[in-house]
Amino acid sequence: MRAILTVWAKELVDTFRDRRTVLTSLLMGPLLGPLLLAAMLSMMVSQQVDRAERRLELPVAGAEHAPNLVAWLERQGVDVKDAPADVDRAIRRQDLDVVLVIAPAFADDWRANRPALVEVVHDASRAQQTGVTIARVKALIAQYGAEIGSMRLVARGVHPAVSSPIAVAERDLSTPEARSGMMLSFLPYILILGAFLGAMHVAMDSTAGERERQSLEPLLATPAARAAIMSGKLAAAASFALIALALTLAAIVVTFPWMPTDKIGMKIDLGVVAALRMFAVLVPIALFGAALLTLISAYAKSYKEAQSYTSLLLLLPMIPTMVLLVNPVKTEVWMLAVPFLGQNQMIMKLVRAETIGALEWGIAIGAGLALAAVVWALAARLYRREQLAISA
Amino acid sequence: MLVVENLHKAFRTKTGTVRAVDGVSFRAADGEITGLLGPNGAGKTTALRMLYTLMAPDQGSIRVDGIDVAKDPTAARRRLGVLPDARGIYKRLTCRENIAYFGRLHGMAETEIARRTDALVAALDMGEIADRRTEGFSQGQRTKTAIARALVHDPKNVILDEPTNGLDVMTTRALREFLKRLRAEGRCVLFSSHVMQEVAALCDRIVIIAHGRVVANGSAEELRAATGEANLEDAFVKAIGSAEGLH
Repeated sequence: MRAILTVWAKELVDTFRDRRTVLTSLLMGPLLGPLLLAAMLSMMVSQQVDRAERRLELPVAGAEHAPNLVAWLERQGVDVKDAPADVDRAIRRQDLDVVLVIAPAFADDWRANRPALVEVVHDASRAQQTGVTIARVKALIAQYGAEIGSMRLVARGVHPAVSSPIAVAERDLSTPEARSGMMLSFLPYILILGAFLGAMHVAMDSTAGERERQSLEPLLATPAARAAIMSGKLAAAASFALIALALTLAAIVVTFPWMPTDKIGMKIDLGVVAALRMFAVLVPIALFGAALLTLISAYAKSYKEAQSYTSLLLLLPMIPTMVLLVNPVKTEVWMLAVPFLGQNQMIMKLVRAETIGALEWGIAIGAGLALAAVVWALAARLYRREQLAISA
Repeated sequence: MLVVENLHKAFRTKTGTVRAVDGVSFRAADGEITGLLGPNGAGKTTALRMLYTLMAPDQGSIRVDGIDVAKDPTAARRRLGVLPDARGIYKRLTCRENIAYFGRLHGMAETEIARRTDALVAALDMGEIADRRTEGFSQGQRTKTAIARALVHDPKNVILDEPTNGLDVMTTRALREFLKRLRAEGRCVLFSSHVMQEVAALCDRIVIIAHGRVVANGSAEELRAATGEANLEDAFVKAIGSAEGLH
């Protein structure tokens, strides 16, 4: 036990004296992620607010075919513009978001009480940017159509309600926190990846690096048990990852209240308590990551080889996030036992301010710790190999 | 006291099995310096690695002060001070911290570590560098640090693998004096070398290894007498069968 503490303390001192590593992993890493997130969110919010409230500019082709419609649109506050000669090209080149094309036969159809054609020309693949604008245009046209339809019915002595046998109304029961959860679906990935690979430098440097610097052989010639030496190194790596994670969470807690998310009906409230809970969720992942990285460093013949293996590990936490992105499912309890997926779901629950039962806590943390223990045992076995210390 | 009996170790490589150590027996007594002499690739490092329990022998036994290394490697390691072929030190730690780290791993108390470090710093003449970080140390300064680290727990037996490798003349001389001092303190000193003069100048007993086997064993006089050569270098060449790999 004393050997574990000795190795742990030495590895941390050694790492913290490496100023560049500390700067990149404890300052840039934890700050850059949340700052990027904050900037992205602010941009999304301000764009959405802007599109929903700004005076709608609408290029109209063939305005002369439907002067009444154009006049009505202008009365609704729409800034009607002339459309370019080649509408399709302007949309394809993304010069314009949307163009309203009024068919030449509009007036004839109108008078004959046939549905008169107007086209809303847009590029659906750009829905992210243009969705709000297009929805506004469609709503205006539909509203005009409904008004005219009612007037025609009234002119024929029919009550307009006759043509609307069903009234559809929506009730959105999502909470502001849950709505922001949709927006924050990438937050778990950032946190899980940080916790999982935060140990990378220390784990690789203290095993593969130590062997390359030729100091592993004398270290293993001391009476300290190999498992103890390995555990000390692993603990140092995990500690480092957890420090980085704590800083990341602190940065999130500090920056998120500044974001104008309430303007779009969302509420992101990551208080200190939620952050502490997220930390608890991620402790097993940090241990698992440190153990896995130690295992890889002990297995690899060189630091370089270890590095090429770890680049593959970057993909590992992405898998459940990707699966959920393609196929969003309701959280089942068993999912909490799946590494990465469980943590992902737990963090989303915390973001959505849902209540989490003791069973869920137990499964999520217990499964993670069990996995870390298995990898630790494998690493201890690998550390006993004769070839471990020999670099040449 | 180190007793090595019929040690064997083979490695499987792509081109076949290499018998690195193929039946090595010798003993190194307390209060004596024993030299393991042999050309490069003779199996010295592998034999020493088995001695300090980094590798397990395929066959044969090793006893350190009567302790069977295979049965109780931890107890054996406590009685050994080892300067391996690989002697990297931690460059972000000071010389003193490097030494203290190993002292703690030996389970020593802090006051005891401080006392032993002071003694070793004085004996190895490294007062100027003791509190500096070892980054940028010369080869000699690094070797001294590694030796002090290996001896912090005051071991009865000292094993050094090619200790003078890469050292200049002055540092080599100082190191020789230090080894003599260890002998005077009654320790068992075993070191390997491929430099014949060094072994001749220092050792009470010489074990010559070639191709994984002990080809001669005795004091300088005994070796000269056994081979019928007046010159020790000629005796050495005759013992190993060729001049290949010398120097």
